[in-house]
Amino acid sequence: MPANNCSNPQTKACFRRGDLLQSLQEEQARLKMRLQELQQLKRGLRNSPQDKVPFPVPEVPLVFRGHIQEGMEVPKSLVSDLQICYPMPGGSALVIFDDPKVAKQVLQQKEHQIELEECRLRVQVQPVELPVVTTIQVSSQMSSQRVLVSGFPAKLKLSEEELLDKLELFFGKTKNGGGDVETREMLHGGVMLGFAKDEVAQNLCRIGQFTVPLGGRQFPLKVSPYMSGEIQKAEIRFQPVPQAVQVLNIPDVLDGPELQDVLQVHFQKPTRGGGEVEALTVVPPGEQRLAVFTTESS
Amino acid sequence: MAAGEDINEVIKKYLKDEEFMKYEQKQESIDRILKENIYLTMEIQKLETELQEAPGSSQIKEDIPETKMKFTSLENPEDDSRFSNISCSFQVSSQVPYELQKGEALITFEEEEVAQNVIRMEKHYVQIMDIGVEVMVKPVPLNSGVRFQEMISQVSVGVSKMKVNVTEIPDELPESQMRDKLELSFCKSRNGGGEVECVEYDKQAGSAVITFVETGVADRILKKKDYPLYINQDCHKVVVSPYMETHLKKFQVFSGISKRTVLLTGMEELCPMEEEIVGDYVNIHFQRTKNGGGEVDMVKCSLNEPCIAYFQE
Repeated sequence: MPANNCSNPQTKACFRRGDLLQSLQEEQARLKMRLQELQQLKRGLRNSPQDKVPFPVPEVPLVFRGHIQEGMEVPKSLVSDLQICYPMPGGSALVIFDDPKVAKQVLQQKEHQIELEECRLRVQVQPVELPVVTTIQVSSQMSSQRVLVSGFPAKLKLSEEELLDKLELFFGKTKNGGGDVETREMLHGGVMLGFAKDEVAQNLCRIGQFTVPLGGRQFPLKVSPYMSGEIQKAEIRFQPVPQAVQVLNIPDVLDGPELQDVLQVHFQKPTRGGGEVEALTVVPPGEQRLAVFTTESS
Repeated sequence: MAAGEDINEVIKKYLKDEEFMKYEQKQESIDRILKENIYLTMEIQKLETELQEAPGSSQIKEDIPETKMKFTSLENPEDDSRFSNISCSFQVSSQVPYELQKGEALITFEEEEVAQNVIRMEKHYVQIMDIGVEVMVKPVPLNSGVRFQEMISQVSVGVSKMKVNVTEIPDELPESQMRDKLELSFCKSRNGGGEVECVEYDKQAGSAVITFVETGVADRILKKKDYPLYINQDCHKVVVSPYMETHLKKFQVFSGISKRTVLLTGMEELCPMEEEIVGDYVNIHFQRTKNGGGEVDMVKCSLNEPCIAYFQE
């Protein structure tokens, strides 16, 4: 853009001011037109919301809990209930130290010798590295095989399982316009049903309204298309748990409770770089367990 | 032209007064139009991004900040397949933004009925210090923005303990032969490998997925970013990375409505006052049942500048 050179004093001395001003004015006219175009488009969408989504979408009640935009960072989505399940093999143990520095020191030695009365147990130690999701991208597309059933009365006296069963039974029958149900799921704004055949889903959406028997009474329910989600991108990063140490390949010599005591004593000895142990759990040989980790604040 | 001399001073010497005035005016117009054009370009970019979402599909794109994890419990699930990967699961849900204008406030009640009641009453006369303000209460118009589709879903990402992704495999051998070479290289325990259950090889992409018989082999191999692949006499380094499986559960697109949070308008005249102080007065007023209110969870007043408030589940 020639205008960029305006800050240069040399150019300021240029006497072709007329040309520069004119081209800037023309540019502005173009920009103003484009802006108007976009503003009209936005207004149009706002006034006729149904254009944006081809069918009404279930409503979910939301609340303001005090989150406001801070500076330029705009978190558009909320991530909650983060949980990581870490499989642990048989003959292993998990030690959680109070002080992460102690864990670090313990991990400096890959092998530890645990003193028993008659012998020594040779074990290996390893840090616990958890895969934490750093980026997630989800997009939604209209599904050809799934529908959303909604319009349930507020206080229905059926358990989740019962409701799903009754809906699967009703919408599984061709005489009701339905067909073979492949998947079903309880959602916030209704129930999702997935059919083996596209035509069934389309047919049900076309009919739209159904009277369904639920728990002795008939209820008017609505069937509409379901937007299904797909993960476009998910990236992870391995993050160590600073206070945790995994103990592996523990020889099968002692009973559970005995082993726990022996390990606790060993890892608490400051002479061996150990320290206060917050928690210690053992996985019996020949078995497996899942160590569950959740976010610190929960 | 001597160094340090102001250009304008030089031009002034060579032009008649009125010509110089015209020159200065043009200079000012150019500067002004330049600034205006930059502003217009930014506004256009903002709107273009906002309107970019294609109808029929919308997105959640989120960078998750680093969170500290702590050990909670040891579990013994019945389903054996849960031991074959390290799973990270969470719930992700859109937060719906609402632009709070100057002179407006949001108040969240504990009970929906209280919110509905306060809306039904419409006009409220609130005493803020020594000023009496007539405040209007309305439902929050959450759907007047461009975005109508919000999403909520449970996500689980599993990092396999039995499979690894292999990439940058050179395209030097026919498919069947390369598959054999991959299996031979990945079962060498001296390189960290182990008995291979199966190999899925994509010759075109130069990638493969190796499934091992035992868990733990994948972990060993992934300690390094590459692995030696032997092809005849040569050794190639192929890239290894974790094999991930992702699932969505209870995925739903929805449009948000506010049932417990209401919008207060009409407080423009309070604008120079402190937001927190006004907020306290509003809070106290709407907590009193004699004012039609009830237990209040949250109040936010916007008096200084508009702010964006987020609504969530």
